[in-house]
Amino acid sequence: MIQVTNLSKSFANTKAVDDINFEIKKGEIFGLLGPNGAGKSTILNMMSTILKIDSGAISIDGLDVKPNSKESKQLIGVVPQEISLYEELSAYENLLFWGNLYGIPSKELKERINSTLELIGLSDRKKDLIKTYSGGMKRRINIAAALLHDPKILLMDEPTVGIDPQSRNRIFEVVETLNKQGMTIVYTTHYMEEVERLCNRIAIIDSGKIIAQGTQSELQELVNVKENVQLEFDFLSEDQVASLRKSLSYPMIQKEKTLIIESTIKELSGIIAACNQLGLMINDIQLQKVNLETIFLSLTGKQLRD
Amino acid sequence: MILKILKKDLKVDFADKRGILLTLLLPIILITLFAFSFGGVGRKKRAPSPTTLLVVDQDSSKTSQDFIAQLDSLNTLRLISKQETEAVELVQKGKNVAALVFGKGFEEAVSNGGRLPLEIKYDVARELETQMVLAVVRGRIMHSFGDIKALSKVNVRMNSVIKETTDKPNPGLVQAVAGTAIMMLLFSVAAIGGGMLDEKESGTLKRLLISPIKPIHILLGKMGAAMVVSVVQLTFMFVFAWLAFGLPIFMDTTSLILLILCISFAVSSFGVFLVSTVKTRQQLNGMSTIIIILMSAIGGSMIPISMMPAFMQDMAIFSVNYWGIQGFFDIFWRQLPLLEIVPKMLILLAIGVGMTLISIQLFKRNIVRLE
Repeated sequence: MIQVTNLSKSFANTKAVDDINFEIKKGEIFGLLGPNGAGKSTILNMMSTILKIDSGAISIDGLDVKPNSKESKQLIGVVPQEISLYEELSAYENLLFWGNLYGIPSKELKERINSTLELIGLSDRKKDLIKTYSGGMKRRINIAAALLHDPKILLMDEPTVGIDPQSRNRIFEVVETLNKQGMTIVYTTHYMEEVERLCNRIAIIDSGKIIAQGTQSELQELVNVKENVQLEFDFLSEDQVASLRKSLSYPMIQKEKTLIIESTIKELSGIIAACNQLGLMINDIQLQKVNLETIFLSLTGKQLRD
Repeated sequence: MILKILKKDLKVDFADKRGILLTLLLPIILITLFAFSFGGVGRKKRAPSPTTLLVVDQDSSKTSQDFIAQLDSLNTLRLISKQETEAVELVQKGKNVAALVFGKGFEEAVSNGGRLPLEIKYDVARELETQMVLAVVRGRIMHSFGDIKALSKVNVRMNSVIKETTDKPNPGLVQAVAGTAIMMLLFSVAAIGGGMLDEKESGTLKRLLISPIKPIHILLGKMGAAMVVSVVQLTFMFVFAWLAFGLPIFMDTTSLILLILCISFAVSSFGVFLVSTVKTRQQLNGMSTIIIILMSAIGGSMIPISMMPAFMQDMAIFSVNYWGIQGFFDIFWRQLPLLEIVPKMLILLAIGVGMTLISIQLFKRNIVRLE
């Protein structure tokens, strides 16, 4: 559906996007995950044809976007990071204006506006001015404005910035519904929870480069980090550790009164039972999961929100 | 704490160097402009700029020719010889201040000490300038023909080439309405131009660029909106002048409507030109104030153009205000037919087209570019 080949873009002396390659299949939710300034929006701006490509190519549905920007614009819907709406107009008037730019016949456009408002759950507020909306509601109208021309692909640039968890969930539901309807979605964010919940495949970007890409499990395999259980005891002798090693088959490391056991939450009850048998008093239990944050840290040495 | 706020504010303000430069430039330009207007430039008193006076010599005698040569040698006057019909037409069209007519028998009157057959044909709307010219002519007569004892004998007959009728407005009213209306229109349009910066800041411009619409259409759409507002504003101002001061706006409705449309086009192109030139609101504020004040001053919105030095009058042609005000004078005061006003309308349209073309280039460079 989307093929990005050797794509590069520089601003003055800064290389914002550095020779990146990825492919997005039809019906996928593809996540571009990276900290602020990683180059995610630059990639999306080039995909949406408003930023010139320095080198490389983007092909959407077999169409090279560089010489075919007009045709490409009909294939994609873009949800910009900013709330790009006219505050002094109502939601309906905003959607009518944005839809009109795509040359949709009047009757059809009105039907689409109503169905899109239904989808985002704001039909009852359509006549209200945007300036009276909450941040989350504005974000949903921001999404609706990108859907009116029925695009095949939706590019979403950090669509949940600055909104409360409840509104964020509403947006997730909209994204999932759209995807179920067959829409291909490119989703940029620096919130790993969003990518973990929504995306089938992920590209991790840092300093304009893709440092890893694949499904979440494929990414986990890339890094040498395993999920583990950390137990803190009142007292922990070497003999007790040796006994534990005999009864539990997982690799473990002792750090003074703490034992780090390479295992998952599923095995936790068995570990606790083994400790009780040996009379070990557990003071604290911590479960360290391997998530995208851990993977990003492992690959770049940086936190996602650095 | 106050110091911290102060330091922060200065840092933020001075971050936009172009904006700061324009803020500093504005008073300098205004001082220079008014210094020139009021003749205050240079340490020494500046010689007055010469006023062009048309001369019709019907006497064609040696005395009249010698006297004309004497007048021409003065720094204050620049004489152009014309036939009476042409001279009257030029004054009627507002091209020249007045025409001095030396009637037959001038030489004889000088030698006999009789009343001089001198007549000045002028436009009442430019009486002040005419009186200044006349004072110079009278002084020169006294100096050249000292044997003429009675001052009454050098009385020059004053004859306005534009007749004041009951349906004609006071020229001062035309000046006030036309001058102010165009200047205020420029300010309104500059504010509308600021809407483009709002679009850029809010992200709606980005969404417009993402849509299939061409960037030039965004610019022309903005310009169209500015033009509609301009037409409404100008119409409103003239209707008010009609109701409040009795300005006869129905005197030549066709010319008035066409002129309003041409001015609105030129002014709205100026609005998009402004916004295409700048990158920040501070720059827009500085730039718009400078250009509007400058155009209004040299174009005759602030001071009647005839009161300004010759070189500033020459510069007036670069201002929308000048062509607009002169157009309104043609309609209300000179009562010229539409064909005579059309050239001014065409110039306004040409200004509009020129500024729009420049704006399109600048718009792509300054506004559309995301880099």
